[in-house]
Amino acid sequence: MRRPAPGRVHRTDLALGLTILALVGAGFYLCTTFEEVSPLFADSIPPEFFPRLMLWVIGVLALLLPFEHAFRRKRGDSGLDEDRKDAVRPIAYITFAAALALVAAAEWLGAYLTLVAICFALPLLWGERRWTPLAAFALGFPTAVMVLFTQAFQIYFQPGVFGLSLN
Amino acid sequence: MEPILEGLGLAFSLYNMALVIAGVLIGVLFGALPGLSSPLAIALLLPFTIMLEPVSAICMMAALYCAGTFGGSITAILINAPGAPPAVATAFDGYPMARRGEAGRALGLAAVSSVTGGLLSLVVFIVATPLLAEVAVSFRPPEYFALTVFALSMLASISGRSSLRNLIAGAVGVLVSTVGTHLGTGIERFTFGFHELTEGVEFVPVLIGLFAVSEMLVQSQTADMAVERIRSVVVKLPGMDDIRRVAGTVLRSSGIGTFIGILPAEGSTVAAIIGYNEAKRWSPRKHEFGTGVPEGIAGPEAANNAATGGAMVPTLALGIPGSGTTALILAALIAHGFRPGPYLIQKTPEFVYAIFGAMAVGNVAFLVIGLAGAKLFARITLIPRTFLWPMVFGFSVIGAYSLSGSFFDVWVMLIAGAVGFLMRRHGFGAAPLVMGLILGRMLEETLSQSMIMYDNEWLRLLESPIVCGFFALAILGLAWPAIAARMAARRSREKE
Repeated sequence: MRRPAPGRVHRTDLALGLTILALVGAGFYLCTTFEEVSPLFADSIPPEFFPRLMLWVIGVLALLLPFEHAFRRKRGDSGLDEDRKDAVRPIAYITFAAALALVAAAEWLGAYLTLVAICFALPLLWGERRWTPLAAFALGFPTAVMVLFTQAFQIYFQPGVFGLSLN
Repeated sequence: MEPILEGLGLAFSLYNMALVIAGVLIGVLFGALPGLSSPLAIALLLPFTIMLEPVSAICMMAALYCAGTFGGSITAILINAPGAPPAVATAFDGYPMARRGEAGRALGLAAVSSVTGGLLSLVVFIVATPLLAEVAVSFRPPEYFALTVFALSMLASISGRSSLRNLIAGAVGVLVSTVGTHLGTGIERFTFGFHELTEGVEFVPVLIGLFAVSEMLVQSQTADMAVERIRSVVVKLPGMDDIRRVAGTVLRSSGIGTFIGILPAEGSTVAAIIGYNEAKRWSPRKHEFGTGVPEGIAGPEAANNAATGGAMVPTLALGIPGSGTTALILAALIAHGFRPGPYLIQKTPEFVYAIFGAMAVGNVAFLVIGLAGAKLFARITLIPRTFLWPMVFGFSVIGAYSLSGSFFDVWVMLIAGAVGFLMRRHGFGAAPLVMGLILGRMLEETLSQSMIMYDNEWLRLLESPIVCGFFALAILGLAWPAIAARMAARRSREKE
């Protein structure tokens, strides 16, 4: 993470504020793409009014973000950087990528096999190398969960291409 | 009297009792585990409770809410790792007491103070909820709009590092609530062609993503961290000496906690910190705080659990969440087809009394379960994170999917998880976003209705004294962090 500049502006928060402002701009653009309102509803508040109001609020507050550190420093309070003082470890990105991949494969694998894959892949990614507990967990936990939810709660889960389910 | 008996009858039915006990067990368990919390537990439970009777589902969650607040103290005292944010202040004196070999005494004090705070706040809950609802039933859309603005303004002083960031998160939540068909005109907004979004963003996958998935991503970075072993603990109830010593602190903190709980958006964490500070301020042994004094445990514990009963008051009487966790309970009520607010207690009073009964039983149950099983619950921290968090993620996927049998909701959950992770990293809380998301629809609806009433003349909103009162409180709520900071600075200057 970049260190705060010695002056009034905190660089990370400046980047954050600008990102939020860019998203606010995109939001304003999207508001212009809403369908036109029928003249029948001309008297009521238009659909873009409220989202625009919120975008204004967010935009104005985002403008203050880069200066927040300076305000807080005056009060002797500088706890804002505590959660981001260390860079995000790659494992967080890898975990999210794995989660995306597993969910993307879920329709194809079906719910049961997806759970097995989650319970096998994530511990492995996080450094678990005790194979017996890992195998027991990867099979035992999904089976227990699926039995509970299909039998007790009568929830239907997609079996996937292998047709494997405990429905 | 009849609705009270009917409500208590519902709460005390064998089936609901079993669910309440299950809620307490889950609450203490989730509360005790650092990273897991009662909001996360409720977010995960929500999809599965949809198939229960509404009374049973809400009773279970209410009991879980109380127990989760206490659960956090177990690990705070034993290993100085507060399982949940409201237990942070408990660790200040609880852990030093445990270190000098009095862990059992510390746990006993925490449990008894917690239960006392919880039960006292329930008395306020049961008296204040119908009264507040009676006042609120006369509210028209302008008053509701002003009340919602006031509730959102309180995000400025909700726990968290930054008022500014809380307000931004709340506004983002309100913005997300505008996704879907505009009720006034039938125009679709921000749906990007996804038919799943025409009725708006589903609360539940967003909640699961914000609380569970984002936490999993945070925890993934500490999966290799060593876990402290728990020493053998024999929990003992406080003796008469301890009870006499902390009685005043418990009563004072219960009052503080209940009041803070009633304030919209404020929750157990703020209550616990104020409870601790007040216990210290009133104590003749101020200098001993932080070394393991009983008042340092009783103060925050009574306050944080009293806030649970207090927070239920605006949630049920006004439909305005009193805390982050009650925002989730509110979401559950909406998911069950209820419209929380004054009509809830007018039309189905037995429902509110059943929740009261469940919370009372929950409090007593966690005293027994918490004391008997403290050692066991603390041992749960020994579950390797490499297994625990994949389990949470598995439940998250199943929960998001089972809601409507659609993978779209699972994607929504993942996106919310990534957003939640980035937000937390930059100091934005998940709870303000949830509050905004839940209150957003009410805010827009009541504003539209008010404008129809007043022919789009904005200033006419100020014709109502109640509206003016809420707006004044909202301004105070927004300015409060700055006022408080000035006051603190002046006090420290005076000390010097």
